[in-house]
Amino acid sequence: MLLAYILVPLLGAAIMPILRKIWQKGTDSVPILVTVYQIIITGWIAYQGIVLNGSLNLERWILDQVLALRLDGLSLVALLAIGLVSFVTVLFSLRYPLDEDRRPGYYALILLAVTGMNGLVVATDLFSMYVFLEIVSVASFILIAYQYDEFGMEGSFKYMMLSAVATVFLLVAVALLFAITGGVSFGELAQGVKTGGPVVFISFAFIFFALALKSGMMPFHGWLPDAYTASPAPVSILLAGIVTKIAGVYTMIRLVLEVFGFNSVFMNLLLVVGAVSTVLGAFFALGQKDFKRMLAYSSISQIGYIMMGLAAGTPLGLIGAVFHFFNHAIFKSLLFLNSGAVETATGTRNFDELGGLAEKMPVTGTTSVIGLLSTAGIPPLAGFWSKLVIIVALWMAGFKFFAFIAVFASIITLAYLLLLQRNVFFGKIKQGLEGIREVSPVVYWPAIIMAAITVFSGILFPLVYDKLLNPVNSLLGLLAK
Amino acid sequence: MNETNLWLLFVIPAIVGALLLVIPMTARYLRGVISTVTAALLVYLAINLWGQQIEINLPWAGFGIDFQLRYYGFSQFIVTAITMFAFLITLYSTKFMVDKPKSNQFYGFLLLTEAMAIGAALANNLIVMLFFWEGLLITTFALISLGSEKAFQTGLKSFIIIGLSDLCLTMGIGIIWVQAKTLVMSEINLDTAGLNGVAFVLMMIGAIGKAGAMPFHTWIPDAAEDAPLPFMAYLPAALEKLLGVYLVARIALDFFTLTDGMRILVMSIGAITIIFAVMMALVQKDFKRLLSYHAISQVGYMILGIGTGVPIGIVGGLFHMINHAMYKCCLFLTSGSVESQNGTTDLNQLGGLWRQQPLTMICFVVAAASISGVPPFNGFVSKEMIFEGALEMGSAYRIFYVAAVLGALFTAASFLKLGHAAFFDKVDPKKPRVKDAHWTMQLPMIVLALTCIVFGVWHKLPLNGILKPALMESMDKVIDKGIHFEFGFGPLFWTTVLILTFAILNHWIGYKLTGKGLGASHHIYELPGLHQIYDLAEKQTFDPYVQGKRGGRYVVKGLFYIDRGVDWFYQKLVPATANKIAQLRQIHNGLYANYLSWSVGGLLLIILYFLLSVPK
Repeated sequence: MLLAYILVPLLGAAIMPILRKIWQKGTDSVPILVTVYQIIITGWIAYQGIVLNGSLNLERWILDQVLALRLDGLSLVALLAIGLVSFVTVLFSLRYPLDEDRRPGYYALILLAVTGMNGLVVATDLFSMYVFLEIVSVASFILIAYQYDEFGMEGSFKYMMLSAVATVFLLVAVALLFAITGGVSFGELAQGVKTGGPVVFISFAFIFFALALKSGMMPFHGWLPDAYTASPAPVSILLAGIVTKIAGVYTMIRLVLEVFGFNSVFMNLLLVVGAVSTVLGAFFALGQKDFKRMLAYSSISQIGYIMMGLAAGTPLGLIGAVFHFFNHAIFKSLLFLNSGAVETATGTRNFDELGGLAEKMPVTGTTSVIGLLSTAGIPPLAGFWSKLVIIVALWMAGFKFFAFIAVFASIITLAYLLLLQRNVFFGKIKQGLEGIREVSPVVYWPAIIMAAITVFSGILFPLVYDKLLNPVNSLLGLLAK
Repeated sequence: MNETNLWLLFVIPAIVGALLLVIPMTARYLRGVISTVTAALLVYLAINLWGQQIEINLPWAGFGIDFQLRYYGFSQFIVTAITMFAFLITLYSTKFMVDKPKSNQFYGFLLLTEAMAIGAALANNLIVMLFFWEGLLITTFALISLGSEKAFQTGLKSFIIIGLSDLCLTMGIGIIWVQAKTLVMSEINLDTAGLNGVAFVLMMIGAIGKAGAMPFHTWIPDAAEDAPLPFMAYLPAALEKLLGVYLVARIALDFFTLTDGMRILVMSIGAITIIFAVMMALVQKDFKRLLSYHAISQVGYMILGIGTGVPIGIVGGLFHMINHAMYKCCLFLTSGSVESQNGTTDLNQLGGLWRQQPLTMICFVVAAASISGVPPFNGFVSKEMIFEGALEMGSAYRIFYVAAVLGALFTAASFLKLGHAAFFDKVDPKKPRVKDAHWTMQLPMIVLALTCIVFGVWHKLPLNGILKPALMESMDKVIDKGIHFEFGFGPLFWTTVLILTFAILNHWIGYKLTGKGLGASHHIYELPGLHQIYDLAEKQTFDPYVQGKRGGRYVVKGLFYIDRGVDWFYQKLVPATANKIAQLRQIHNGLYANYLSWSVGGLLLIILYFLLSVPK
């Protein structure tokens, strides 16, 4: 069952070259089927767990002591987000102008990235985590530069080179920890790090550095705006929506939970770096003139939120972080979908050349307002609840100053997103844009789906909180042991 | 199975209503047919459920806010009545609305309104009730706005007035939550001391605001002129009375145990509403507007009856509620029938319709006799019960009895005038002859008129069959002894005879003085003192909405300056700051080496930090 999460997308990627030769039209359907399968199967497991047992149970699948996989509440949320975001990415790609010959390869890379993310999510040891992280990264490098354009190459290069630095340090840390503890599974590592000592702390520093770079926290974010902006529209949805979140944020949450524990040294660092990212990311976003670039900086800022929630070190903070992680996947991919739609329709992303599009593109305009309000944390949308939980958690954990920072950053978030709306969608239509039309349904339906998820998970928050997020807390029980 | 039926009761109209709003249809009758069939189905469902006890508890928002519904004696009465009125009015509208503009939205909102009303009556959690209650506010606004050009203004007026009273209701619920520590309606039981008294008053404002008692009534006469007519028969005449008085009864009987002071407050509101609204009704010159003032005046009776706290008064108040819904609905429908055939409801232009619209006339006479309290129609029975309730309070409260009697006198007088002017007066010979309305419009009127007779002659039937089970639970708290539902032909009967005699006498005098049926109230209008008050009332001096709007001008001015300030903040300060900060992005010069150096610098800092904080 669990292995299917890795094998199904991998198989999908593997048959792409064959399908390309024998039935090229069929290549479109494979990634859709795979992602839909993932959504359904994850939803089914969640439903089963919630309805039959009252909460999500842990499922464990071990292969010959070699590869241990595990599914719990946290990974279920992540798997659901992966399924949803990759599904809308694939839908968006259907009409995206790619070289038809290279389209199957493109799908194969997306499926490969999904494979890597799924593997990362269910892995239970640091080394397989590293391997899957590399799978995701390599797939992303190629995807960013898939159109052979200059910017894509540049973005891809920066991402790759900085990632390489990160992975080197990650690998060194894995080696160091292996040397001390004699194992790489989370359980063994957790036992080992209790002994403490400089080597453990050095490896902590390396891991922190690697994951902070992967998730694009300041000041390790240099690659992120370029990579997000330069990649083809659907790739930036995947990248911003889920890839960096899984590669950086999920791994951070997982390692904190399973290995590091909520130790105050680590938590304080996370808190400060998170706060810096939150505030500076928002400020940088405020100054942008490019739709996608603004969203990229917004991503940095939102990741800061997630980290701050995690760093609160309380069950409530963890819930807030996980929920914001999920929400961010949804609303950021929604906003990137909108930016893709705008780019498809008008051919530009520059605010100076855009304006008044809501009139001509009602669906895109409306869904982007929902995405913006959710990002800025306006009730009753999902983003409001997760931010609220994070802020409350920070306050209750005694980090009142950081709670204020979170509120403050939230205001700036609203400011720059309103700026975006005003420049792109509201007001009078810009000269030369009178002829544009709403994008095709394949492009705007994903946006509607994402907007609906944001709205409903916000309105039904008590339900989500009770059934989906509270079980995440049971992980803390693992920690206590 | 029964639970499913209970869900269907408000889910079906909500879904069908929403669908009717979004599905574009060009067929003229299809919408009407779909809504009529849906409404009929709901009547069937409601009858099917009759007599059962169902409770639904679903976790919803947490913190004691659960999705709780309760179907029992009281709510079954309200819900069944709602479905029946909705059915009759939908049937009536199929013909009436067919060529009206925006009739496509009308049915959608009609059914949504029904869904909201049923939900509000079923709710057993104050928040759930509030949810449906506010939904009703929106559909009310939408339905009014579908009328003539001025209708949007009237809709806005109703929205603000009801919205304000709903706000009070919300605050009342908030206080109850704190005081009673529960939101479950069947578990709340408070006294009216201190903060509880505030909650009581706030809740009461919400309830009577919905029912349309003074001073929350001013939108109803305006809506009578501007809104589509079936709306008037549907909401102000029937559904809002049912719900508003239902809530009044729940508040006064279940949620709170009233002190004498509170009782006097409630009864005073009732008495004032009766007298002032009926005096306004007396001098109206428009069929629908006159009816709308009676719709306000009659609420006073219900509130007065329930406020007495005497069993017969309470039963009378609730009986009056259902009776009023029937005859007032019927009266509005006759006015619609007159409007659709004559094109106007201005009494100056009407007359002699009894020859041309005999069925409408008969229905009107029956309903008018009911509202005037002529035996043996239903209005007579319930009014007698309220009189008796007011008398039983003791001699100190005789004033309320007097108010009720006076109200009855003027009600009778104004309906003599209305009927005379519209149906029996001399015809303008130039006016074209008209035929009676379509059968789909007559059938609801006939049904309602017949029920008025049935409920009057065989009043034991509804009293024992409907009201007794409805009040079984609440009345236990009021008295320990058995409930007596009897009423006799005692001295009160002769009061009624006296009232009617005076009314006829008054009408005769007025008719002789002016020579017209419409002028029958003119001598009252001309009375010194009253005349000035009427003039002021016509200038809307007593309309809190209009006065509030006048007072609001200064608030608006203040808000204007605040708005300018906010504009300056967003349009001047923020872009300026943004520009300053935008220069920060210069440090992102796109050089890989630069980014790498940041990263490595960060790494060094992290290592330093870890080394410094390693426990020695």
